[in-house]
Amino acid sequence: MKILGGLALFVLIGTAGYGQVLDLKGLEKLAAKASDVTDVTLDGSLLRLAAKFLSADDPDQAKVKKLVAELKGVYVKTYEFAHEGEYSESDIASIRSQLGAPGWSRIVGVKSKKDRDNTEIYLKTGGAEPGGLAIVCTNPKELVVVNIVGKIDLDELSELGDLGVPKIDIEKAKPAKPADKKDND
Amino acid sequence: MSNLEDDLRIALRREEPAADFTERVLARLNQPAPAEPTWLERLAVLMRPPRLQWVAVAMIVSVVIPAATVEYRGERAKQQLLVAMRVTGTKLHQAQRKVVETGRMGTRL
Amino acid sequence: MALPAFADIVREHQGMVFSLAWHYLHDRALAEEMAQEVFLELYRHLGSIQSPEHLVFWLRKVASRKCIDQTRRRAFWPKFGLDDIPEPSAKTRQADPMLSGALAKLVASLPEKARMLVILRYQEDLDPSDIAQVLDMPVGTVKSHLQRALGVLRSKLARTVGEIAL
Repeated sequence: MKILGGLALFVLIGTAGYGQVLDLKGLEKLAAKASDVTDVTLDGSLLRLAAKFLSADDPDQAKVKKLVAELKGVYVKTYEFAHEGEYSESDIASIRSQLGAPGWSRIVGVKSKKDRDNTEIYLKTGGAEPGGLAIVCTNPKELVVVNIVGKIDLDELSELGDLGVPKIDIEKAKPAKPADKKDND
Repeated sequence: MSNLEDDLRIALRREEPAADFTERVLARLNQPAPAEPTWLERLAVLMRPPRLQWVAVAMIVSVVIPAATVEYRGERAKQQLLVAMRVTGTKLHQAQRKVVETGRMGTRL
Repeated sequence: MALPAFADIVREHQGMVFSLAWHYLHDRALAEEMAQEVFLELYRHLGSIQSPEHLVFWLRKVASRKCIDQTRRRAFWPKFGLDDIPEPSAKTRQADPMLSGALAKLVASLPEKARMLVILRYQEDLDPSDIAQVLDMPVGTVKSHLQRALGVLRSKLARTVGEIAL
């Protein structure tokens, strides 16, 4: 798999049932321009099959196995570009639009002027447990979009810090305002 | 204060493998290739009772190949899942690091 | 090529090839096996080697590729945690052996390409344009990956051994 550059990482984690699956078809045209692409689409039976092959004897895989048990879909698209300017905000406008729909709340947004990175994390709220999780990461030469659908426990997610999933000190989801798309431009 | 690049050169300095490494490479080169069957041996295989032979083939096709296919798909899906979780974790980690570094949350809850 | 002559080639370059695999995989047995595979493949392709310099380039290229392929096949899980690195009682610089061990483990926990970039840069002392040729990547990508990897290593190391300056 190649890894695409600067892809906003949208990770949807659903509350009480399914989070919405993002429509990521609009990103497919970027593959032709990218120098490296990662494209993971796992849902339904394929996701369950993948989980079955995770080893319960390996502590890391066992953690992932537990986390994945309640997930319905895992979608990751990363694009790396050799040059700046190979993709633009208009390429991800539809994704931002989807995340602006009711139920999605942006809980983290960090920009690095030095690296010109922009990272946004969204939660799909609306029930007692946090819903879908979306993460968008953009960089002049890299674009990452991750969409994870299904019920997930944020505490379990933060326990995966040693696997590269950081311990996020986020309170249980409060009713949140919809994301302000203009902040992300 | 230390110089990270110098420390990396020290940490990543070359090391030698086990003392018999070269001998083991040569030993693998010297392993004889399996002999090709003679035409007579090939003919003998074809002359075996076809019913048993084809039953065996049918069993292999119906059991082993599908099982191998499932295993291949499962392993591949597992690897994709782990890559996906790694990418997710990496980006979350980077975001968290930046939040800690800047000491602020840039978005509203 | 006669085996004794090939054995000389193996002895001359086994440290480089093994070290690339060892620092990348952080598994000694697997690194030795990987290194053996590289030399077996070299034996099969000796006719294509044009010069001693080409030989070194070829070995680095094949070793890098095999290591990266190996981790992708095995879904090698990078360890971002530092639980196995002892925390110092005070924020003072650790003795070199401990620092080297911590750094080597952190390097082995980097994502695949970044890991190999760092190893080629600091084990083999290659400059970014040479690394780009070995890994068949744009030079700009090599530089940005290296810069980012150093940033990650610096911040992770700082958490255990105190402030590190580059």
